[in-house]
Amino acid sequence: MTALRYALRAAGLALFVAVVVYVPFRISDFRSSEFALIGIYFIAILGLNILTGYTGAISLGHGAFMAIGAYTTAILVADHGMRDLWTIAIAGLVAAAAGTAFGLPALRLSGPYLALATFGIAVATPIVIKKFDGFTGGSGGINLFEAEGITGLPEFVVTLPGGHQLSFNDWLYYLTWTIALVLFVVAWGIHHSRLGRSLRAIRDNELAAAASGVWLASHKTLAFTLSAFYAGVAGALLAISAFSVQPGAFPVERSIALVVGLAVGGLGSLAPLVAGAAFLVFLPQWAQDISKAPGVPSVIYGVVLILLMMVLPMGVGGLLRRIGSPLTSRLYRRS
Amino acid sequence: MRVLGVVFLSLAVAVGTASARPSADPGVSSNEIVIGGTVPLSGIAASYASVGRGAEAYFKYVNGRGGVNGRKITYKYVDDQYNPSQTVQATRELVQQERVFAVFNSLGTEHNLAVRSFLNAAKVPQLFVGSGATTFGRDYRRYPNTIGFLPSYVGEGKVYARHILKTRPTAKIAVLYQNDDYGKDLLSGFKAGLGAKRRNIVSEQSYDPLSTDVASQVARLKASGAKVLMVIATPPFVIRGLVAANRLGWRPQIYVNQVGGATNIMRIVAATAGARIIQSAVTLISVKDPTSPRFRKDKGMALYRTIMKRYLPRGDANDGFHTYSMAVAYTFEQALRKAGRNPTRASLLRAVANLDIKSNPFLLPGVRIKTSATDHFPLDQGQLQRWSNNQWHPLGKVVSAKP
Repeated sequence: MTALRYALRAAGLALFVAVVVYVPFRISDFRSSEFALIGIYFIAILGLNILTGYTGAISLGHGAFMAIGAYTTAILVADHGMRDLWTIAIAGLVAAAAGTAFGLPALRLSGPYLALATFGIAVATPIVIKKFDGFTGGSGGINLFEAEGITGLPEFVVTLPGGHQLSFNDWLYYLTWTIALVLFVVAWGIHHSRLGRSLRAIRDNELAAAASGVWLASHKTLAFTLSAFYAGVAGALLAISAFSVQPGAFPVERSIALVVGLAVGGLGSLAPLVAGAAFLVFLPQWAQDISKAPGVPSVIYGVVLILLMMVLPMGVGGLLRRIGSPLTSRLYRRS
Repeated sequence: MRVLGVVFLSLAVAVGTASARPSADPGVSSNEIVIGGTVPLSGIAASYASVGRGAEAYFKYVNGRGGVNGRKITYKYVDDQYNPSQTVQATRELVQQERVFAVFNSLGTEHNLAVRSFLNAAKVPQLFVGSGATTFGRDYRRYPNTIGFLPSYVGEGKVYARHILKTRPTAKIAVLYQNDDYGKDLLSGFKAGLGAKRRNIVSEQSYDPLSTDVASQVARLKASGAKVLMVIATPPFVIRGLVAANRLGWRPQIYVNQVGGATNIMRIVAATAGARIIQSAVTLISVKDPTSPRFRKDKGMALYRTIMKRYLPRGDANDGFHTYSMAVAYTFEQALRKAGRNPTRASLLRAVANLDIKSNPFLLPGVRIKTSATDHFPLDQGQLQRWSNNQWHPLGKVVSAKP
């Protein structure tokens, strides 16, 4: 039984990878940059999922950890001449450290109180960034376009070691999705590990989890740390993609958007979170295509979101589980 | 003589072939010119959406009269939610997907800064950006594809300083300013204009554009004992600041900057705080005020109202941002006409750096748009106004607002 399940999973992952590799051949150069953006949101939502989906702790402040990642990359590239690629992991680690520091006290709070505390950091982020303007460039932010460490700009062509050339947008796409796939597999590993089971136990019943030997505080802090790492990586990629960072790029709405993406993708699912990320990138554009009249795009966005949540309360992931469950349970029974 | 004839003939042939060659730059076809820009249509700054809609309405009017050299102007403005990282993505779409000829009228200081390097590297003109940050006009050598439109904030600050030096040279001054590039730019111009008298500034307080209240800042400014209050703020903070001052019973002489001093904003202040607080307040204006009875019979404003009625019937004709955006769109149209029968990005940039428009129908009489190879501030004049009877009234002549 488990062999078949693993074979199915491996085939699914192979299909996922194949689609990711193939997509840029089918779309225009610019669309690659949009799909890269989906990859960036996917990473951030995967991270939020570890915290909210597995552990059941709601964070309305993950935009702040994205900001930390983005500014880490920007400062290292612009002020220290570091190559952008190497800063991505560092950005993740810095954000993870910030996540631990924030998680330690904050996770003593639960439910709405934690949501409120994290909302607080989301609100404060742009203001704090502006406060230290000698370091962060103030409201104008940091421009990376003319920095040495940015790969492939300003010619918009990246030459790979093998001599192949990629447009900047395609390069961005492959960079983002390579990292996204690695982090996806890691998230999948966590999901199926002892840690993942402990986290889900915390979500389902804290008291029962503690009684079964799960140390609540350390597990919750770890979940916060991991999730901030993902957000930091996403932030670093966002800085590279926009070749600049500004405090205005990380408003409260950014944090709320991540929660929306997670809900649309489906709490606790993994691959379907891509749908949530795509929703964040495409729905606002689509709403604008329908009408640019004052207020109308926002209303369309809201109405679609409400309808989606009414029809798919468990998100796209829940829908897939519902469609897939009879089939898989049949398969499992037979083997 | 014959030699001269040959020269003329060959010149004529050269010019003839040059103009017959179709334009090679993106966004230009035989019957259309596609330009684009970013404007907040949703989010905290959605009220600036008029800056996109008014320009669009003006281009529709131009297209209705046959366009420019037989080409219709298609203006694609997209929402960036006033978030600079969205501005980057949306501008990338305009350049790489929509293949626009030029980026035009994009709004916001940080937002235009975020795409300036990109547009210059891609050699796409970044025209008449909706920000008065001095860098857009000053740094044209480094960024030859970029040009601003609004009078520079530094220049505007100097105008207020000169007026204060003339009318109240010894008065103590308090300043409320927005803590970002725009606020600091205007404040630096204000101080430069005061020169040695900058020591008259007894208190400066800043607020964050994301905060919701400025009452404590205003209380501190009042405590300084200043008799003049310079307000460098966007509309919501002008309202909050002046309402707070009124509540404290403070009655300084008020100077309010152009971005926050629109008539409808001042009327809100008058309605919530009472007319006394803004009695004889001073501001600088370059664009005609659509609410002013002065322009009831003005030809330019008649055209404005016709365009609003015909092409933007649901828009508020009293919204000054509509007038402003038509002034920008008119300037673009003139530049495009100057850029030749088959405009290229290079010829458009040359035209933009060689403008002399004496009567833009949407700008105050006497305000002239002039640029040159070394002057990239198209609009660097304005007229001080004094508030009385629920209306701005001109105060003196048109003055220079050069940085």
